[in-house]
Amino acid sequence: MIEVNQLKKSFGQIKAVDDVSFTARDGQVTGILGPNGAGKSTTLRIIYGLLKQDAGQAYVDGIDIQSQRLQAQQRMGVLPDSHGLYARLSAREHIQYFGQLQQVPGELLEQRTNELIRLLDMENIADRRTEGFSLGERMKVCLCRAMIHEPHNILLDEPTNGLDVMTTRTVREIISELKSRGVTVLFSSHLMHEVNRLCDQIVIISNGKVVSSGTADEIRAAAGDDNLEDAFVKLVEGI
Amino acid sequence: MHTITAVLLKEFKDGRRDRRALMSAFLFPVLAPVLVYFLLTTIIELRTNEEAITIPMVGAENAPELVQWLNERHVTLEAFNGDPEQAVRDQEVELVLIIPEDYQYRLADFETIPLTLVQDGSRTDARQSIVDVRELLHAYNNETAALRLVVRGVSPQLMQVLSIQDQDTASRQERTATALNFIPLYIILSAFVAGMGLAVDTTAGERERKSLEPLLLNPVLRYHIVLGKWLAASLFSASGMLLTLLLCIVAMLQVPLEQIGMDFSITWQQILLMFLGMTPLALLASSLQMLLGMFAKSFKDAQSYIGLLNFLPVLPMLYTMFNPVATQDWMFAIPILGQHLLLVDVLGGTAVPVIAYFLSAGTSLLISVAIAAATAKLMERESILNN
Repeated sequence: MIEVNQLKKSFGQIKAVDDVSFTARDGQVTGILGPNGAGKSTTLRIIYGLLKQDAGQAYVDGIDIQSQRLQAQQRMGVLPDSHGLYARLSAREHIQYFGQLQQVPGELLEQRTNELIRLLDMENIADRRTEGFSLGERMKVCLCRAMIHEPHNILLDEPTNGLDVMTTRTVREIISELKSRGVTVLFSSHLMHEVNRLCDQIVIISNGKVVSSGTADEIRAAAGDDNLEDAFVKLVEGI
Repeated sequence: MHTITAVLLKEFKDGRRDRRALMSAFLFPVLAPVLVYFLLTTIIELRTNEEAITIPMVGAENAPELVQWLNERHVTLEAFNGDPEQAVRDQEVELVLIIPEDYQYRLADFETIPLTLVQDGSRTDARQSIVDVRELLHAYNNETAALRLVVRGVSPQLMQVLSIQDQDTASRQERTATALNFIPLYIILSAFVAGMGLAVDTTAGERERKSLEPLLLNPVLRYHIVLGKWLAASLFSASGMLLTLLLCIVAMLQVPLEQIGMDFSITWQQILLMFLGMTPLALLASSLQMLLGMFAKSFKDAQSYIGLLNFLPVLPMLYTMFNPVATQDWMFAIPILGQHLLLVDVLGGTAVPVIAYFLSAGTSLLISVAIAAATAKLMERESILNN
């Protein structure tokens, strides 16, 4: 479970996040929706412990992220905005490196690596160096290394951005699978149909503030519009 | 601890697979013996040529005995025509020896014979030749005088109160010292070159390929990450440097150094102590490179900053060249200068007190730890993720 309470973060004069609160529950998929520059990535970065908030609190499974960063990070698997890989390491070596950093013991690490490679259908690329991987293949490596420690909370920053149909499908399947296992899934997106299709709960952020939250139906009702996209535009523009 | 090892092993593996970095790391050591051999044999050749002295002479025909004596000592004599003073002033020749026409008469009358040595006292490069010629003439003078005494039944030893034996001339020492300055420079530079690729790749490289954010998402203390990376880069740097050192020593043992009056030998104990004194230099070089690498946003960016670091090893060489003072113990405590002096002394055959090795190692180690700590602090900053 991820709880965020009245989060604020400024960079110089710019208020990137200005009062964001929401709760992402176990076994649910929560989507953060917002236009570019709304504060989605900054909010996520505070949650996964890379930025410190100026005010407010953020908890993962009840652990305060700011004061207990390492414990909190052990409970999270993150697919961040940056998808950089080491060109000279193979896919398997990437997954194992992150497993070691998450302190997954050796034998278990071996076993989970193989499971993930099978789950994401990566047998043919697992032992190849990642140099020259397609975007989809790179994304799969990133997903694997985010999940190697079987975290109870998964955060995905625009996970399907730029992916082909096949990989997008795989990502969606994984999200559903995680949800059924009782994992808290939090992801950000600016793709309406994706959020609509996957999320149990949607949080709409604009200009660093939460403008609306709830199920897709609740948001449509709040905006007085049957179309989620129209509802979104209305809420964001504050009409 | 476990995470430090994980980072270290990963970076080491990554570095080992980086052909470009590996090339620069190990081309240096491999070239070392070639360079040392070339440098030293050139010096030996120069020194051997130096023995041959040429004297431009006016009136050589007046003193056939002197000419013969000089010829026996492999001195080349050249008949000189023209204005000696003008020629010396125009630097056409270094000196001209003028034998007076009445040489034979004066010799017969046991009068002192005035020889003129035309020279330019302000020319430092000619000084050695002048000194050599003067020494030769003195030697001839003494020999002839001794013969005269012997003829009169007087022991020539009466004339000889002192016997001064000059063995080394200044230029010899200078040339050897210059050579011995270049070898330490090369070895110290190898510490900076060998680990550079990895030091940059693990800092600026992480930022450039956008792999820093995923890395920092792991529940690992930032200083563990820095420590792992630093040790990996230092491992490269140290192996490159120690290999260079070893190969330089091997090369020096192969060159006939005794021909230039140098006596080089080294014991295993000295080699081990050298390793001890030198290894922290690798840690220092890597920590500096990583610190600068953290400021840079791309590999290229970093290389231009870090290229400037390579001037650091040149500084102690310049210092010792322009301040040829005797080495004092405190000097060993200054990083890079300390290692430079260690190398100069040990490779030059001067005994170094054991404390010097520990001083060199200790201060470099302390400073490199401080720099690595600063790098870790930098890693803590949020702005490290900005591109």
